[in-house]
Amino acid sequence: MLIAARNLTKFFELRGGLTGKGAVQAVSDVDVEVREGEIVGVVGESGSGKSTLGRLLLGLIAPTSGEVLFDIPEELLQKYDEARSANDKKTMEEIASKYSITRKSGRELRALRRRMNMMFQDPYSSLNPRWRVEDIIMEPMVSTGYLTGNEARKRVRELLEEVGLPREFAYRYPHELSGGQRQRVALARSISTLPSFLVLDEPTSALDVSAQAQILQLLKRIRERFRIGLLLITHNIAVVSYMSDRIYVMYAGKVVEGGPKTSIISKPQHPYTVALISAVPGNSRGPRVILRGEPPNLVDPPKGCHFHPRCPMVMDNCGWTAKEVAEELEFLLRGRYYGMLKEGSKVVPQGELEILVEGAKAEEVRKVIEEEKEEVKSLRSIYEVREGNGGALVKLMRYDIPGMYRTDEGREVSCLIYRKT
Amino acid sequence: MEYALSVKDLRVSFYTRRGVFKALNGVNLELRRGEVLGVAGESGSGKSTTGLAIMGLLPRNAKVSSGSVLFDGRDLLAPLTSIRKFSTGRNESAIRKLHRELAPIRGKRISMVFQEPMTSLNPVLQVGYQIAETLVIHNPSLLASRKLARVRATREDTTALLKVIKENEGSETAVREFVESRHLKGLEEQALFIWRRNDINELRKERLILDLCCEKVGSTTKRLLESLEGGMGITKAPVLSRLLRRVLFKEGYRKAVEFLSTLGVPNPEKVVQMYPHELSGGMRQRIVIAIALINNPDVVIMDEPTSAVDVTVQAQILELVKDLKRRVNSSFIFISHDLSVLGEVSDRIAIMYGGRVVEVGPKEIVLKAPRHPYTTMLINAIPTLDGREIRGIEGEAPDMRNPPPGCIFNNRCPFAMDKCRKEEPPSYKVSEDHYVACFLQGGK
Ligand SMILES: Nc1ncnc2c1ncn2[C@@H]1O[C@H](COP(=O)(O)OP(=O)(O)OP(=O)(O)O)[C@@H](O)[C@H]1O
Ligand SMILES: Nc1ncnc2c1ncn2[C@@H]1O[C@H](COP(=O)(O)OP(=O)(O)O)[C@@H](O)[C@H]1O
Ligand code: SF4
Ligand code: SF4
Ligand SMILES: [Mg+2]
Ligand SMILES: [Mg+2]
Repeated sequence: MLIAARNLTKFFELRGGLTGKGAVQAVSDVDVEVREGEIVGVVGESGSGKSTLGRLLLGLIAPTSGEVLFDIPEELLQKYDEARSANDKKTMEEIASKYSITRKSGRELRALRRRMNMMFQDPYSSLNPRWRVEDIIMEPMVSTGYLTGNEARKRVRELLEEVGLPREFAYRYPHELSGGQRQRVALARSISTLPSFLVLDEPTSALDVSAQAQILQLLKRIRERFRIGLLLITHNIAVVSYMSDRIYVMYAGKVVEGGPKTSIISKPQHPYTVALISAVPGNSRGPRVILRGEPPNLVDPPKGCHFHPRCPMVMDNCGWTAKEVAEELEFLLRGRYYGMLKEGSKVVPQGELEILVEGAKAEEVRKVIEEEKEEVKSLRSIYEVREGNGGALVKLMRYDIPGMYRTDEGREVSCLIYRKT
Repeated sequence: MEYALSVKDLRVSFYTRRGVFKALNGVNLELRRGEVLGVAGESGSGKSTTGLAIMGLLPRNAKVSSGSVLFDGRDLLAPLTSIRKFSTGRNESAIRKLHRELAPIRGKRISMVFQEPMTSLNPVLQVGYQIAETLVIHNPSLLASRKLARVRATREDTTALLKVIKENEGSETAVREFVESRHLKGLEEQALFIWRRNDINELRKERLILDLCCEKVGSTTKRLLESLEGGMGITKAPVLSRLLRRVLFKEGYRKAVEFLSTLGVPNPEKVVQMYPHELSGGMRQRIVIAIALINNPDVVIMDEPTSAVDVTVQAQILELVKDLKRRVNSSFIFISHDLSVLGEVSDRIAIMYGGRVVEVGPKEIVLKAPRHPYTTMLINAIPTLDGREIRGIEGEAPDMRNPPPGCIFNNRCPFAMDKCRKEEPPSYKVSEDHYVACFLQGGK
């Protein structure tokens, strides 16, 4: 296996960190894999953690927890996974100490730098404006000690040809190039040390469709020629669908679905993937699912399944907490059931799973819940309403946290609907 | 056919230190009443410049060398085209004149939504204030009527109004007639909004409608409101007292809440009190759309309104635009570099390249059976979900300081003929409603 992440997690501490400001949970407990010569797409909306995942895989930032295992033999990876299920920390540690990129140091790390690289979205800021194309492409070869200056200079000419640019471009400056040409230069630079793993972060998002098509075709050719494993990060599902062998879908810091491209695109299983694919403009397969709301704040992500507040299939145990239910209950009692809540009374969450409706009768609240739970899905998490001190006491069931469930043909889905009972 | 707006042979150049960029080279576009006209093209093809020219928002280094934007029987760009010899100084004073002339139109009869909502919102003002502001500037008489209606109405009036609404099941004409017969204009939209809400129960609705009465205002304020209602423009009205401003803005907030709720904004009472940075990207874009639409403009220009938001939010906004098209009387120009987005919302699509419209026609035809080589190649370059093979367009877009003579696409066109390098192809009608600017379509 070229690269495998296990339980990979990255929390960015907010300033004032330990004093209780919290952290951005950018990537939470993610497993991903890329094989030699494979193109793996990562799709998700802005802020879902795609770029952070890419930087973690390359060791550009240190994970909060979890491992990135590089170039690990299949048997050992399997052994690691078995140890993980058995909670055998010792075996896990033994394997990780040999293959984890965070444990490498000095010479090993320099060799590793040569074998993995990244290409960024913005073709304007990712190239040093004061350097000529030649210097830009040469830099990684020299700094990793892959080639000497003169050898590298010669190699630049070959690389330019490889990415479809005339040799004379070696003497140009970035501002003399179009966006598409800059991305070709960036690509030439990132393949210069013949890496075996490349992360492409939105490589075509800043380009017009015609330039995008050229770069995508070029990437496919480069992959064939050098058998590089590519992790292609993008929010554009059609691009991923055109390019990838396999896909991971991310939502709010988690991988919610993974598997072979064709089966995911034609038969998405996770409710978020279903909505995402149906939202692609021009997609005419099946009815369009319009999600309500927007992706959550990752400092305090929704409990249980991160997707539950927007999920069209949401169930009673998907993560509803007192705060969410109290808000909807109050909205109903102040609007549609005006009059039920007395002047000055409130709907107060008490802890995570209990709500007090001040001054209300349990019987009445129960009726509202019965009436509305078809439409207001959060109310389904209520299992009991009884008279309490100073009003009706509403009790919620404990929620579940979805794990990763294997479905068919190498697919995995993180949704409680697919949990085997 | 009468058009909501038409652009004729528009030519605009930008004067910069690096040379003169010929951004628009004879743009012709007609916007029909009630339609959504999609405008697509690569970056730099002139989409935004066309939108800005229509709004009279060109920067001072922009020279309009010819052409017109016809709206409501007049040429909006006349002050700019009348400049004989171009200089930024002369242009600047012409633009100032243009701004004065367009002030009563911009934001009221023609409005624009930009890609990045933050650029059109003021970060230090509540969003409710910003929506109210466009109403106070352009439609103070409506705000005055709304307020005065609640002052004049008696409990008996609102009781009768409620009866009319119930008996006619919320029919707009019945309510309007009733309100007019009692000289309570301005009350209808408030009452109907309450009636159509579905987040509150009947009892609550009835209460709220009955309460649209018996408000008190001071006699001076009342007199000022009445003069506004009488059609005196806000600029001509006696210097607006602080008091009157406050009353109008308060009423503006009230209408903002109603309007936002029709745009699917949850909890609008809270949202109007918030500042732009407290809102998500999608919500901000809805606010900008609300500001653009609240005065019921004839023409709305949307420049890449969904390019800065996520796919699922984009789907929400596209749904909103489709819904608006059904509900309001405005005509829309919807600019996007993404043809599949245009396929969702447009009636007709115009394709721009090198500052010209190279093809325009009904949506299905342009997308499924394009006739201009550029359109065909553009469509073949777009990846789709089925993963079919794509092909880039060889070559680079021309340098607009020195565009090639003849057909502007000739350096990349696989079919280019001698003629294409000498003459500019005119726009040929290839079928009903479908026009293509390419010699292959006629004129051999
Ligand atoms: N250095 C950092 N410090 C604090 N928060 C960060 C940092 N880097 C990323 N984040 C946060 O982590 C989350 C995930 O960010 P990331 O850049 O990985 O998202 P993404 O999926 O690549 O989004 P996009 O599509 O916008 O590029 C976001 O909430 C982001 O604001
Ligand atoms: N303020 C300006 N100054 C100089 N050139 C400009 C200015 N605005 C636009 N242009 C140029 O005009 C051409 C058309 O731009 P634009 O209308 O923004 O295209 P689009 O919206 O289709 O991407 C481009 O070549 C662009 O660089
Ligand atoms: S677990 Fe599945 S059904 Fe429940 S909210 Fe998440 S995605 Fe929806
Ligand atoms: S006019 Fe000529 S160059 Fe232009 S698109 Fe048609 S065939 Fe090509
Ligand atoms: Mg990113
Ligand atoms: Mg633009």
